[in-house]
Amino acid sequence: MKRTRPVVLAAWIAALLACAAVIARTEISTDLSAFLPRSPSPAQQVLVDQVREGAVSRLILLGIEGAPADALAALSRNMAARLRLEPALSAVNNGEEAALDAEREFIWRNRYVLSPAVSPARFSEAGLRDALQRDQDLLTSGLAALVKRTLPSDPTGEMLTIIDEFAGEPPPHTRDDLWFAPDDSRALLMAQTRAAGFDIDGQEKALQRIGDAFRGAQQETPGAASARLLETGPGVFAVHTRATTQEDAERLSLIATVLIAGVLLSAYRSPLLLVLGFLPVLCGAVAGIAAVSLGFGFVHGITLGFGVTLMGESVDYAIYLFTQTAPTRPPAETLARIWPTLLLGAATSVAGFSAMLLSSFTGFAQLGLLSITGLIVALATTRWLLPALLPRGFTAVESRLFARVPLTVMRLAHRLRLPLLAAVLGAIALLCFHRGGFWQEEITSLSPIPVRDQQLDQRLRRDVGAPDVRYLVVVTAASEQEALEAGERLSGGLRAMVDEKVLAGFDAPDRYLPSEKTQRARKSALPDVETLRGRLPEALDGLGFRADLFAPFLADEAAARDAPPVQRASLPPRLSLKLGSLLFERHGDWIAALPLRGLADPPRVADRIGALNERGVMFVDLKAESDRLLQTYQREAVLLSLIGSLVIVVLLAIGLRSVTRVFFVIAPLAASVVLTLALLTAGGGKLSIFNLVGLLLIVAVGSNYCLFFERQKREDEQVERTLASLVLANLCTVIGFGVLSFSRIPVLHDIGVTVAIGAAFSLFFGAILNARGDAGAAKDLGRTRGNTAP
Amino acid sequence: MTSGNEARLTRRFICTAAAAALWLWVSPARTETAPFDIQQLMSTLRQVKSATGHFVERKQLQVLDKALQTSGTLIYLAPDQIQKITISPKWERIAVRQNLITIEQGQEGNARAFSLSDRPEIGTFVESIRATLAGDLPTLMRFYTVTMEGDAADWRLLLVPKPRKLQDLVKDIRISGAGNGIRTVDTEEADGDRSVMSIVQEEIR
Repeated sequence: MKRTRPVVLAAWIAALLACAAVIARTEISTDLSAFLPRSPSPAQQVLVDQVREGAVSRLILLGIEGAPADALAALSRNMAARLRLEPALSAVNNGEEAALDAEREFIWRNRYVLSPAVSPARFSEAGLRDALQRDQDLLTSGLAALVKRTLPSDPTGEMLTIIDEFAGEPPPHTRDDLWFAPDDSRALLMAQTRAAGFDIDGQEKALQRIGDAFRGAQQETPGAASARLLETGPGVFAVHTRATTQEDAERLSLIATVLIAGVLLSAYRSPLLLVLGFLPVLCGAVAGIAAVSLGFGFVHGITLGFGVTLMGESVDYAIYLFTQTAPTRPPAETLARIWPTLLLGAATSVAGFSAMLLSSFTGFAQLGLLSITGLIVALATTRWLLPALLPRGFTAVESRLFARVPLTVMRLAHRLRLPLLAAVLGAIALLCFHRGGFWQEEITSLSPIPVRDQQLDQRLRRDVGAPDVRYLVVVTAASEQEALEAGERLSGGLRAMVDEKVLAGFDAPDRYLPSEKTQRARKSALPDVETLRGRLPEALDGLGFRADLFAPFLADEAAARDAPPVQRASLPPRLSLKLGSLLFERHGDWIAALPLRGLADPPRVADRIGALNERGVMFVDLKAESDRLLQTYQREAVLLSLIGSLVIVVLLAIGLRSVTRVFFVIAPLAASVVLTLALLTAGGGKLSIFNLVGLLLIVAVGSNYCLFFERQKREDEQVERTLASLVLANLCTVIGFGVLSFSRIPVLHDIGVTVAIGAAFSLFFGAILNARGDAGAAKDLGRTRGNTAP
Repeated sequence: MTSGNEARLTRRFICTAAAAALWLWVSPARTETAPFDIQQLMSTLRQVKSATGHFVERKQLQVLDKALQTSGTLIYLAPDQIQKITISPKWERIAVRQNLITIEQGQEGNARAFSLSDRPEIGTFVESIRATLAGDLPTLMRFYTVTMEGDAADWRLLLVPKPRKLQDLVKDIRISGAGNGIRTVDTEEADGDRSVMSIVQEEIR
């Protein structure tokens, strides 16, 4: 051993340096999409990508509330004026005329290419006469105001046709020309950032500016002291989640480090042993992060946060070594003695984390890889490096204190078994009578975005009249123009369905940007001025209009014939934003999305859309998609957990070669899982897939303690030391996972809570079920021992 | 003699009684002619729970050579519902309920809905009638400078828009009425168009 020492050390240091080099070049990501439910369906993928990269990702919705409506209005104006000067934002809108005028002006100017009603027949004598007759009817009606002003320029009513197309998607409610929530309790603003949604630094800067503008406006507005600013949008989520992730990762690992170090220091009373004890942890963490970086190309902030649990677990190996080494024995001897148990325990842990590695949830896979690599490296460090580093004549303080708990439990074991059995049976009964299903039913529960933020987002979106879409038609094509043309053909079919009242309405990209082909066709439907001038007198005959009224019409129509085509770049900001969410490129394909409203009978609409025989078309029910997706994740989590558990049992069977011994390791774990499950679902609590995977980890992590408990039954010496090491190791693991349960990120919180409870249970149940015969004189245990001792 | 005295006394008594009666008869009339202000008008109108009336509307539009005439029924239900149902020349129903205006044309249920605050050009007219009938002075004052002339038996309201958006549409609205009923609504629009609506109340509760 002594001769290999420098070689081992050198190789170790070289490996550590290599890992450090990998980490130095690693991108630490807080991108949400790794932990957003990844969809197997292309339709949902479209939406996830859209949220991440599309124009929508640059939109920030703002609400101001908590003050009288007049103060809110003043705040809204003041704040918007400040934000319009802000270079980090490309557009700001609070409902004030200016922005809307730009849209109206754009539609007005381009009405002859935007109106789906434009056709040669519409400008024939008969068509014109119909239009003028309709105008006269409208003038007598309550809608007179809609046509009166535009009549001389637009007798065929193209503007009204376009407005009708938009009807049902009303702009936000206004109060004194400003956007407000329908109950006037909130002023609303929309801001578009110059930075892309995934540029979190850029988004953060924009949010800071918005906050500054709000505070500035607040100081200048009387009666606004109590007002609050609400922000939401993809960029806001990204910034908040990054902050939460960083805070949680830093805060929680600091707390865990301090707690674990405190526990170890109180046990060893030796700073050197503390440092040596943390060495496997450090090596494991460095190797784990490097492995994730190499495997995925980036390391997620949440993965780093999960590293806290790795600390709690991987410190165990050194604890076993230090605490179980008696003063008179060399550490190598201890290692040789406990190695089979240590190896088997590590193998079961790795088996548990492998289930996460195989998950289709990217985030999970990272957590799994980090833990597996970390544990293996920590174990290897403990096995091959630590003994060489330990000082000659090494002794660890015998900690009777830590042994006392299991000794007491074991002494009372024969009295605790029945209560334990009763508790397990009670838990099973509780689970059997659980009402309303065990699973969380919303896919949003998987998202790292806190539920409160999600609710705020929905509320503000409803306020501005951009509610969540449930049904949409998606069409994929090779080019932008082809996607637009396919969208136009679909629009035609959908319009028929609207007329038949199968559908209340829909939105489509060609509303904002008709395909070049359609634009050309509409222009060629416009007759030249002389022809039109010739047709007018006939059409006007007998109607009450003034003779010279329609000169502006002739001028506008002539201008429209010569106008350049409408292009994406010429759209005003809000329409451009809208188009961006309806027509976009993804991986070289162009996608047109048509959100549908008010479906009386969704399957019938799906059939009708299928009957349109358009290539590359999908009818998507997002709710059904996300339900299906959630079920897929749930099924996968159940399957992986079952397989993981099975692999662990098989590993134990191979390692222990005895059904009885396997039983005494598994029984306390099973009891821990059942009781933890009952606790989590008590009072109607719901399970996330994170909880479920946590249950598997109880088995994977808890098996370590139960293995040692099972082993000490057949040992005569050092029992106290073994028990002390178990308590110490368990305490560190429970600290690691327990600290995580304070995280605000669901995946970390759920796993943390589940494993912390289960790991603590497994220590106690392991002690109760594996009490030594001489401690409690339980007859059945004595018999078992006699039968199975090797 | 006695009879002559008696007759004189009797005559005097009658004169006094007549004077008293005249005074008694006149005095309530005198309190009625005391200044009738807008608050009183509004509180009178607030008593109305529902009203139905027949209307005839004459519109003089700049774009047309001749005036248009429509007629139909007005139905008001306190505090915030009003329907204007045009029967001639074409059927149309404009219904305002709270902040929502719905316009149906042709009886096959072809309806459009607008938010009143979002589309003042469509709602103003009906809204001003509704707010007046509801005796809702705060709402009227939010959008118009309101002045009143006349007395309970013959009152006239002049509404001049306050918000710029509304000024661009309407020059003024003159509403006249008697007691708790509206007789005419005369709207002059910013572009010179004018509409005069005469209402014959059928039922007021």
